[in-house]
Amino acid sequence: MAETMTAPLKLGQKVPDFEMVTYEPTKGDFGKFSMKDQIANKRWTILFFYPADFTFV
Amino acid sequence: MGCDIVTVSTDTQFVHLAWQKSEKELANVKYTMAADPTGNVSRLFGVYNEGNGLDLRGTFLINPEGTLLNMEMNFYNVGRNIDELMRKFKANIYVARKTNEVCPSKWKDEGDKTLVNPGAKMVGKVHEALQGS
Repeated sequence: MAETMTAPLKLGQKVPDFEMVTYEPTKGDFGKFSMKDQIANKRWTILFFYPADFTFV
Repeated sequence: MGCDIVTVSTDTQFVHLAWQKSEKELANVKYTMAADPTGNVSRLFGVYNEGNGLDLRGTFLINPEGTLLNMEMNFYNVGRNIDELMRKFKANIYVARKTNEVCPSKWKDEGDKTLVNPGAKMVGKVHEALQGS
């Protein structure tokens, strides 16, 4: 799990399962993202990290 | 081929909602906005800045089996080029389908020149392989 990872992931490594609470603009509601669901649903994933909301991405 | 684009910052889902609703530039947003207030997911991908609690500009491509295939990281003051991100993403999907081909640096889209069955015969002959039909 993320809490026990000491070194960041490297290319070619399997991403361990993790979950995040989400906001879904298309539904105007909160939701959940999990790696386990992405694999179960055979979806590609792009994770796009940025510093902060209300700034100038 | 289904792909989910998920943006992540250390803001909460409540702030994501407030930002998306107030900023007109984000009025047509379709992607999921994920919250990582503990920074744990950001640490997993090596983009968490322990000094200020803000994520660096990192982009990661994960295939349907859950394997990390591509990463790019920029410091705060340089933005990412979406065209290059899409090029790399298309290339990764292409070679996932055509496992005997590789995409050279100038590959942009389906139909562009690839290298087929790279092996001993191609060593020192990449130029010729790229010229051929």
